Amino acid sequence: NGQAGDVRGAELGRLSSRPSCSKEELDAIERELLDEYRFGLQQLVEMWGHACAVAVAKAFPLSSLNRRQPTLLVVCGLERNGVVGLACARHLRLFGYEPTIFYPKRSACALHRDFTVQCEKMDIPFLSYLPTEVQLINDAYNLVIDAILGPETDIKTVKEPYTGILATLKQVKIPTASVDMPSGWDVEEPREDGLQPEMLMSLSAPKKCAANFSGRHFVAGRFLPYDIQKKYDLNLPPFPSTDCLVQL
Amino acid sequence: MNYSSSEADPETTEPLRYLSKDEVAAIESELLKDYRFGQQQLVEIWGHACAVAITKAFPLSTLSKKQPTVLVICGPNQNGSVGLVCARHLRIFEYEPTIFYPKRSMESLHQDFTVQCEKMDIPFLSYLPTEVQLINDAYNLVIDAILGPDADHTDVKEPCASILVTLKQIKIPIASIDVPSGWDMDAASKEGINPDVLISLTAPKKCANRFSGKHFLAGRFLPYDIQKKYELNLPEFPGTDCLIEL
Repeated sequence: NGQAGDVRGAELGRLSSRPSCSKEELDAIERELLDEYRFGLQQLVEMWGHACAVAVAKAFPLSSLNRRQPTLLVVCGLERNGVVGLACARHLRLFGYEPTIFYPKRSACALHRDFTVQCEKMDIPFLSYLPTEVQLINDAYNLVIDAILGPETDIKTVKEPYTGILATLKQVKIPTASVDMPSGWDVEEPREDGLQPEMLMSLSAPKKCAANFSGRHFVAGRFLPYDIQKKYDLNLPPFPSTDCLVQL
Repeated sequence: MNYSSSEADPETTEPLRYLSKDEVAAIESELLKDYRFGQQQLVEIWGHACAVAITKAFPLSTLSKKQPTVLVICGPNQNGSVGLVCARHLRIFEYEPTIFYPKRSMESLHQDFTVQCEKMDIPFLSYLPTEVQLINDAYNLVIDAILGPDADHTDVKEPCASILVTLKQIKIPIASIDVPSGWDMDAASKEGINPDVLISLTAPKKCANRFSGKHFLAGRFLPYDIQKKYELNLPEFPGTDCLIEL
């Protein structure tokens, strides 16, 4: 059918013109931001965490949640992705949600520790273990925020507890929103055995693996200097008004 | 029943508290020491919220000059750094800020914020024209990020003292960050400048009690325990907004 073919071709064309970054580009951008532009990690994590929280509030407004309490589960990994999850949880608490954090392996680095204390002092509960009984998770929370693994993780080296956590999360029936990239994917290509979230919040710019992401997709974080955007040909769509995120 | 801060019966809602200099210092100390917030984090939160406040008070479409120019005057301390971050976000919001930052702090935190602005191609003036008409003609508004709650209003040194003299004569609107420069934090002063807009950071200060212009509360991050401990009685922030108009 010629017509279907044309539509499909146009669809592919639109998708392939979406901006997305390779691992090298991501590393280069981050090095520039930190070394030349003198952004600090604390600053970046705060901006990303806040923008992710705003994205969650947009996609899952308080009034739309099914459970009686606006509960959500934030699962945080060890690296950058995890600490952004912590900042996101804190902002969600301020927006009136009731986040619970599962942060099984704590980083020793001061940045993570500080963001952890900020959450603890906001009275956000930290789970000591994740139920393997998936129904318990489905019943207790409205959604899961996946802040486990990010672009810096080498998917081939992922060990416990994360392998077990991913196995559990793949079975939950409630929606999942991933920070930056779905955990278990390679930064440059999707993987069937990783999580399949309903929503993705790409930090600053989408990664290559997200080029054909079919769920709800936001770019979260509005601070990339124009020179960097131009240099790496990011072609980000314009952000509406003063919003710190844009839906792709 | 749904209470908004404007509709609430005054007898049933506790009034918003205006903080003294000591209370401000105590809260900041708790945030940094007990709550482990970082200064870089706080300044980023404040600067961003100030920029959003500016866009609300002076939307791009309402500016009278052909270019959306804004002059941001930054002092040597924290207030100045907040101004730097505010300028950077205004640039991203498509305003054209110009920064005047005559006395640069030596602290690496403040230097980092300066580099971020420089690399965003935000111009830095090397001197402030004393000819006030030049400022009136070039910019739509001035953002006063000169002196904050930590300043000693009785001992304003150069170059801030002269800058305040110039600012008192300009005709374009002024928006002050946190405290109008030159005011005594605990009382409204006749000496300092008279801004059209005040953007209080986190909670309003005592001196703002008699401020009659447009007043915003900027920065949404205060843990509930601190709000309760100091009886701040902050009004509700709408939606996911990081500021409230008081």
